[in-house]
Amino acid sequence: MTIYYLWIVVAALFLSQLVLLFILAWRKQRLRTKEQAIHAQYEALTDSFSTYMLDPSDEKFSQELRSSSYKEVVLEHLLNGYVSVTKGSSTSPLVAKLSEDFLTERYTKQLERKSWAIRMNTLYFIEDFHMQSLSPLLKEKLHKSVRLDQETQQLIRTLASLNESETVSALAKYPDAPVRLYIDVFKRMELSTQERALHAALQADHANKTLKYAAISYIGMAGLTAFLPLIEKELNSQDSEIRIQVLKSILRLQYITTPSSLMPFFHSTSWQERMFASRIAGRLQLSRFKEILGELLGDSTWWVRYSSAEALTQFSDGDILLTHLAINHPDRFARDMAAQWETFLLGSEK
Amino acid sequence: MHTFFEILAYVIIFYMIFSSLSYVGLFMLAFGKVKKESKLDRRESTEDILKNPYTYPVSILVPAYNEEVGVVSTVRSLLALEYPEKEVIVIDDGSKDSTSERMIQEFNMVQIPFAVRTHIQTAKIDAIYQSSIFPYIRLIKKANGGKADALNAGINLSSYSYFCAIDGDSILENDGLLKTMKPIIESDGQVIVTGGSVRIANGSTISRSKVEIIDLPKHPVVLMQIIEYFRAFLIGRLALSHLNILLIVSGAFGVFNKERVIQAGGYNKNTVGEDMELVVRLHRLLREEKSKQRIEYVPDPVCWTEAPESLEVLRSQRVRWQRGLFETLWTHKKMMFNPKYGAVGLVSMPYFLFVELLGAVFEFFGYFIIVGGLFFSLVDPQIAGILFLVTVLYGSLISALAVLLEELTLHKYPKTSHLVRLYFWALTEAFWYRPLMVLWRIQGIFATFRKQAHWGDMKRKGISS
Repeated sequence: MTIYYLWIVVAALFLSQLVLLFILAWRKQRLRTKEQAIHAQYEALTDSFSTYMLDPSDEKFSQELRSSSYKEVVLEHLLNGYVSVTKGSSTSPLVAKLSEDFLTERYTKQLERKSWAIRMNTLYFIEDFHMQSLSPLLKEKLHKSVRLDQETQQLIRTLASLNESETVSALAKYPDAPVRLYIDVFKRMELSTQERALHAALQADHANKTLKYAAISYIGMAGLTAFLPLIEKELNSQDSEIRIQVLKSILRLQYITTPSSLMPFFHSTSWQERMFASRIAGRLQLSRFKEILGELLGDSTWWVRYSSAEALTQFSDGDILLTHLAINHPDRFARDMAAQWETFLLGSEK
Repeated sequence: MHTFFEILAYVIIFYMIFSSLSYVGLFMLAFGKVKKESKLDRRESTEDILKNPYTYPVSILVPAYNEEVGVVSTVRSLLALEYPEKEVIVIDDGSKDSTSERMIQEFNMVQIPFAVRTHIQTAKIDAIYQSSIFPYIRLIKKANGGKADALNAGINLSSYSYFCAIDGDSILENDGLLKTMKPIIESDGQVIVTGGSVRIANGSTISRSKVEIIDLPKHPVVLMQIIEYFRAFLIGRLALSHLNILLIVSGAFGVFNKERVIQAGGYNKNTVGEDMELVVRLHRLLREEKSKQRIEYVPDPVCWTEAPESLEVLRSQRVRWQRGLFETLWTHKKMMFNPKYGAVGLVSMPYFLFVELLGAVFEFFGYFIIVGGLFFSLVDPQIAGILFLVTVLYGSLISALAVLLEELTLHKYPKTSHLVRLYFWALTEAFWYRPLMVLWRIQGIFATFRKQAHWGDMKRKGISS
């Protein structure tokens, strides 16, 4: 009896191996054939697609595309390639038109599919192609979502790229929304919508600190100097994270209205504030702070020593100062750091 | 004699059932994750990270000992990586060949003074060089201290908050770092370590530090290692990562939060399994702090590496791995079955002890029972034969399932014939490869008592042309 069962197990294991091999081989072959067909159609349509993008009155591409058996997939590849390599293509009305004409129906269905991966891919493509017509459907989905999971995050990004201003407030519903995501949203909006959202974020009460950090941070990243007076006021904020974000933004904007407002930060108890103040002094070549930078070269924190030495290299006489400090600074670590910066400008890929 | 065989047989049978079920359990867990993400457009999902200012800069550390053949191509592949901000630090750990000279010549390096922060004590640093062409490439020339010591020196010199440790004989795919950093960025730093898949490059064509044509090697020893890597990475690591109890991030390629690693004391110089030991120590730190931070495995960032082709080199590699596993489990024995360490102490550590470490011992006794039992006529030859067949087929089924996961996630091997060949060799595993592994793993357990930290010596042919 036992042997009989064991033989059944052996046969089952052997058969399951064979079946698995057969299924995998068949699946691989089928996928390969499909991929080859798609590739062939993609190659065949590339020229007429390029012509169409230069001269939309040329009907040849539309006709050829309609006769393609994988028209949606091929068009997706063509548009995706175009959007990723052509400058300014992300807002091309031709990309939007082609995708609206051929992909709206497919994407509407795909957004309801069970497969998480397919829904995510669809959101990426709607964003890339700026498919405005799908905005109501996406908003409906956003209202239904209850968790800020990966899909909701991408939904918010996609809607922001369609310039839907309510995405900021939709995001603010989630207390754990990261700064990174707010920045992603600001980045995707059109300038006027973005400015309104930033103003609102800066003037709002302190209930949503993340939103405020993100707004200050984004202003620096995007170089929006018009907001400088507004964010400079926040240098007096009681919230140290806000002060650090403002210092970071000033460093990026490379401008400060009242340089003397930096003074307290060189003696701050927070090393991050001392570090950013040093960097700003260097980047903006504020000579009045040279002496303080020399002192900070002997700071207890490595990053402050590093940043003050880097700042000194920004001045025309930085090399002389560093040579002097490398020999005469009373602190051993400061002398080492000065010697390091004296001989090379630390490289990092920017 | 008969009673002894009987008891032993029952122990082995129970063990085999437990071990088999654990593999099936792990496969089920891994399959769920793979199935969910199998159709995801990876390119689209990382596009944003490439342009995002919140993408953390990364220091890439390349420890190298006698890597004159591969080090330049590894660094070239790192230069080609799509990543917004990075620095590359090669640490020549007292090589006896011309590893440093090759680097200095190829990247036009000059010696620089550098105020290194000594977070972790290391062997003496002789000199630090910087490339005049790419200022973000540096070379540390130091006295020999082992791989862990070399990595610690790299940590001391690195500028950024995250570092990626990659072996000097490996090639990382262009978007590999982006994909590995994705969970860290998306979790806002809650993920402190990520490891990616490591693949075997033998047989594939790699030129200009890029994988041009993926193909299978002809050598059966290497083919079996490919299947073994599938199983280890796509079943084992994926499932354990899903439960946040992953104890191994491949030494060939992983990304770490520097602050956490320094807090944990850096890489341990007194073990040959420094990669696993560090991850276990980090888990220990997280559990003791009751932190919610995680360690994750990402199945798709592929790092290509050269696998040993000779049995002798493979033997020494496996002995070293097993020894590293034993040393790590012994160092952290306090965690074993300790509820204070949650699932790591209750599931993961016992799994590594009974399946990964002692599995070889149980299997050895399994072979002993079959052979000895037949010799002393204590076992029915027919039953022994069928049991052997079941073991063979079950083992190869697990390997086949790993091939299935590969096909669903990355499907890097393009031809149907690749699949068939992998399947065929998976079937032969139990007849020659597995017994060899059992033997070497047992040797590894004994080797633990002969302490001597060293690099894995392997004659490199170089994987890039």
